[in-house]
Amino acid sequence: MLSEGISVIKVRDVLLVTVPADPDDETVSLMQAKVLEAMEHRQAKGLVLDISMVETLDSFFARTVVETERMVGMMGGRTVVAGMRPSVAITVTQLGLTLGAALSALNVDRALDLLQQPKTKGAK
Amino acid sequence: MTDEAPFDGEVPIVAEFDIVVARKCVREASVALGFGVTDVTRIVTAASELARNIFQYAGSGVMRWRRVSSNGRAGIELVFEDHGPGIADVALAMEVGFTTGGGLGMGLPGAKKLMGELEIRSQAGAGATVTTRKWLDK
Repeated sequence: MLSEGISVIKVRDVLLVTVPADPDDETVSLMQAKVLEAMEHRQAKGLVLDISMVETLDSFFARTVVETERMVGMMGGRTVVAGMRPSVAITVTQLGLTLGAALSALNVDRALDLLQQPKTKGAK
Repeated sequence: MTDEAPFDGEVPIVAEFDIVVARKCVREASVALGFGVTDVTRIVTAASELARNIFQYAGSGVMRWRRVSSNGRAGIELVFEDHGPGIADVALAMEVGFTTGGGLGMGLPGAKKLMGELEIRSQAGAGATVTTRKWLDK
């Protein structure tokens, strides 16, 4: 059962996904599949995950973001997680979760700027 | 101070989507009890981890929630009960990074950190009951 749909759109040369407020595990997994498919078909340079609506970021979600970042990386793209709410940042930190090598940005605008910068060696 | 409101209920956890239902119920109850946005996020995230544990390890179970009070403080209590394989070593299960299910090993210790109080009763082969509480600041 899918609670909410996920759409992947292309902005400039990167993919933008707005994650719904309370996605179930299936939606989160579907998001990963859609992103990878779009990376290939739409020739994207990177991915911005807009999580500004997300109210609950648990270990399953975090693990999927980490995995997705690696997969997108394998395909040559960079991933930025944008717009994490303060309450979510506090909870995620206390829970001990990390988002792996995914970059973070305050909002989508800054995430897009970040992806326009050239890849620097060793940048996280 | 709100009293006698119906701050209790239960949700069966039998399908993956029930994790979302559990989160929604816990969110509504925590907001109604007067928790602030950060505590609500903590409580809902802990509920998500514990509900997923039931689904992943036991297959099915139930989450109950209720308002509790002690020494003039109110709080929320969440109980996660299943009749799955149980937890063979409760102390080990509380260690960060320990998992038997291919997860991150964050669920139980993380939930305790977010909630403050968390107890596990379990016998191998006879299911598990995880009880957790968070109190409102006075």
